[in-house]
Amino acid sequence: MEIPDVKERWTAQINEVTIGATKEQGGTRAKTVTVGGQTTLPCLTFEGEIPHKPVIAGYVADMVPGWPDVLKNAIGKEINSPVEWAQKSVEEYGVDLINLKMIGADPAEKDTSASDCAKVVEDVLKAVDVPLIVWGCGDEEKDNLVLPECSQAAVGENVLIGSAKEGNYKTISAICKADKQKIISEAPVDINIGKQVNILLQDDGFDLKNVVMFQTTAALGYGFDYVYTILERARIAGLKGDKLMATPQICDVGGEVWRIKEAIADEDVLPGWGRLEKRGPMWEATCAGVYLQAGADILVMAHPEAINKIQTTIDRLY
Amino acid sequence: MSEYSVTFQPQNKTARVKKGTTLLEATQKAQITINNICGGDGICGRCKMIVKKGRVYGEVSSKLTREEIQQGFVLACQTFIKNDLVIEIPEETWAKEKIIADEDAERFRDFEQVLLYKKEYIPSPLIAKIYLELEKPSLSNNNADQQRVCDTVRKKLKYRSTQMGLKIIKSLPKILREHDYRITATVGLRRDIAEIMNIEGGNTEDKNYMIVVDMGTTTIVAHLVDANSMRTIDAKACFNSQGIYGREVTGRMIAAERKGTAELQQLLIDDINRLIGGLAKDNKVNLKYITAIVCAGNTAMGHFLLGLPTQNIRRSPYIPTSVAPPPLRAAEVGIEINPRGLLYSLPGISGWVGSDITAGILATGINEKEELSMLIDIGTNGEIVIGNKEWLVSCSASAGPALEVINEECGMRAEKGAIEKVYVENREIKYKTIGDLPPRGICGSGIIDLVSVLLNEKLIDRSGKFIIPKERNSDRIQYFDGIRGFIIADSQQSQTRKPVFITEADIESVITAKAAIFAAMSILIGRLELDFLDIKHFYIAGAFGNYINIENSINIGLIPDLPRDRIEFVGNASIKGAKIVAFYKQAFYKVEKIRERTTYYDLMGANDYVEEFKKAMFLPHTDIEMFRRK
Repeated sequence: MEIPDVKERWTAQINEVTIGATKEQGGTRAKTVTVGGQTTLPCLTFEGEIPHKPVIAGYVADMVPGWPDVLKNAIGKEINSPVEWAQKSVEEYGVDLINLKMIGADPAEKDTSASDCAKVVEDVLKAVDVPLIVWGCGDEEKDNLVLPECSQAAVGENVLIGSAKEGNYKTISAICKADKQKIISEAPVDINIGKQVNILLQDDGFDLKNVVMFQTTAALGYGFDYVYTILERARIAGLKGDKLMATPQICDVGGEVWRIKEAIADEDVLPGWGRLEKRGPMWEATCAGVYLQAGADILVMAHPEAINKIQTTIDRLY
Repeated sequence: MSEYSVTFQPQNKTARVKKGTTLLEATQKAQITINNICGGDGICGRCKMIVKKGRVYGEVSSKLTREEIQQGFVLACQTFIKNDLVIEIPEETWAKEKIIADEDAERFRDFEQVLLYKKEYIPSPLIAKIYLELEKPSLSNNNADQQRVCDTVRKKLKYRSTQMGLKIIKSLPKILREHDYRITATVGLRRDIAEIMNIEGGNTEDKNYMIVVDMGTTTIVAHLVDANSMRTIDAKACFNSQGIYGREVTGRMIAAERKGTAELQQLLIDDINRLIGGLAKDNKVNLKYITAIVCAGNTAMGHFLLGLPTQNIRRSPYIPTSVAPPPLRAAEVGIEINPRGLLYSLPGISGWVGSDITAGILATGINEKEELSMLIDIGTNGEIVIGNKEWLVSCSASAGPALEVINEECGMRAEKGAIEKVYVENREIKYKTIGDLPPRGICGSGIIDLVSVLLNEKLIDRSGKFIIPKERNSDRIQYFDGIRGFIIADSQQSQTRKPVFITEADIESVITAKAAIFAAMSILIGRLELDFLDIKHFYIAGAFGNYINIENSINIGLIPDLPRDRIEFVGNASIKGAKIVAFYKQAFYKVEKIRERTTYYDLMGANDYVEEFKKAMFLPHTDIEMFRRK
């Protein structure tokens, strides 16, 4: 008896999105990073092509995030300077891109001015030669001021800018069209809104071939499984031919994990949970590893040890 | 308890009411219909009145300006009576009763003079009048009077058995002999038995009329029909007076629990009696020749008609008292036709899918077609039926009133001066009003057009948010109470000297309403493992349905993007179906079969409803590829 072929065959391909630009391409990066392009689900290389490995973007912020000492100490004094932090991430941790977040711009934080943020972008671009992801602070009104200047400061560099939501997509789309940057489209853990934001961007004349989706990330224990299914459903929809969902996906693992008590509280608070020094990075690595399987193409990560673990995982998988 | 008299000007109508009654309830008692959308919650601010004489009490409403308060303006629903009053109702507050009712009838009566159902059906009205020349008794033909009448009727009308009330039996000896055994029997169908309801002397066969009623939550429509010729003689409509207890049936059911079902029943019966009285008077038909009334409507209305308790309809598991009540004496519920006339309530399916839908199934004949059909009735509630000759499944989606009335300031019923169409001409957004009058507001069909046009003109995006245009139309987008809105007609054009507009919040309500209906359709289609394209006939019922623009409805995702030749408006299918039942006994049995065969699928049990709903909360839909056929 012949064994039936139970391989899935997908009809469509996930968009290939390239971030960064080399000298020849009008930028100053030493290399570019391309994600997407798959015709199969993660790991299932026997059912289709996975031309580009998932990548790790090193988390860098314009101010020291409210992180536990375990993480801050692991990064070291460089955390105090976005430039040095970025350099260390590239040189020591070997990340593929830098994920620069302007958390200091938040009116509830330092309310850093747009021009100061733009200066950080310029400095980081000078300091490292990997492609850049630039996020605002999450406050839509402030981001509408900050992101245009940050984009301006990176003209020609083909950076990935985050994020376009239902409420502010028009501003983001306008600047990214003008400065030829890429966009992260964001939805609040809702696959329908995820698709809707993409439609809105497309209606606004922005090519979805230049978009990476962000479904919002949850740390393990905080809606993790829910986000997992959204990533997976979005990917399946894309592979089945839904062009509006055929974009690569980004997960902000580092930004999420280091806010939850399991990655902040040591044994004195959580007896029996093991030492935080080990538990924190393990938590981050676990989340990142699972999101890899769900269909994440870009993992934003913070802890050097977690980064290292996932790099090994990626290399072993692909 | 003390009673006071409240006189309303300029109608000059007086009502006697108890202390503590609201002015709104008093207008109802005085039979004055006024503008009121919120059902007496004090939210809509439409029921403004001026206290001319006497004192009232109640809270000062934020819906009134300082000037208005100084001039003695009050909100009728928030104002209580504590002595004799003279009240002036300003023109903007009256619903222009008579005129509007007629206009409404004009729009909603859906007048087809002769209704021919299926060819193979023999016309056979539920109530037949039959002239009999009985064989006179003799020693060799010594049947009793009653048996003489009954036997003849049975033979002539082919009924298996007949019944006759004591009162009629008692009258037989006299009437038979006085009229030389030439009499007219009125025979009504009561399920399987025929009732000889009345005996008249001589031949009155030609005088047999029936009333057919569609009891809508918003509008009640009554047709006067001739049972013999199957002609519709006239139609009238009025707004459902229960409106003082809210626009949605749930509000009415809550009121019934608080005030007693009898109160709600009375309002409905009074409306029906007024319509019947008007029809009889205008057409010079004596009420005694109206032998039956056939009613269809949503299940709550069916309950109110008979005074049945409604409290379990709105509570899980949503059990009605009866969906198929037997024919009753109309007089038993207070309906004023021939005192022995019968009241037929068409059978419904569940607490939330009423006899208006069974009537619609009958009228469209989807229960007889090989091919798959879908029937939707768009109203405050959206009911959906899908099926063919083998099976039928129905469900109900609570859409809310957003497709009928948008914001409090500009939403209005389909009355004169309502913007009913919106279109683009020479890149300008234009409108047409009912009666071509200066606009007073916008009604349902206009709302659908408007949202569609705003989307096409790229003034709103697919999530319904305004896009600020660079050149054209930019001055028409303004802020209303801090919310962006689009001015359809400015204060110079409008009748009220205030702009007619739609805000982002209104558009969101429209999207919510259409999403509720579309999600319900999607769930039924999904459960049956079908695709929208499997539907070969898509019927849109409801008065509102007649006026909506198909392209615009598809453009906003209210109805699926099907080949246009599959989409058909069927108007008031409820009254059509009720009429078919009135004229054909076979249909009377058939509609009962439809009831038995139609499954009710309760969306409360659909765990994917929220998902489908969210998908539909977009213009036209998150799965936009479903709407790209054209």
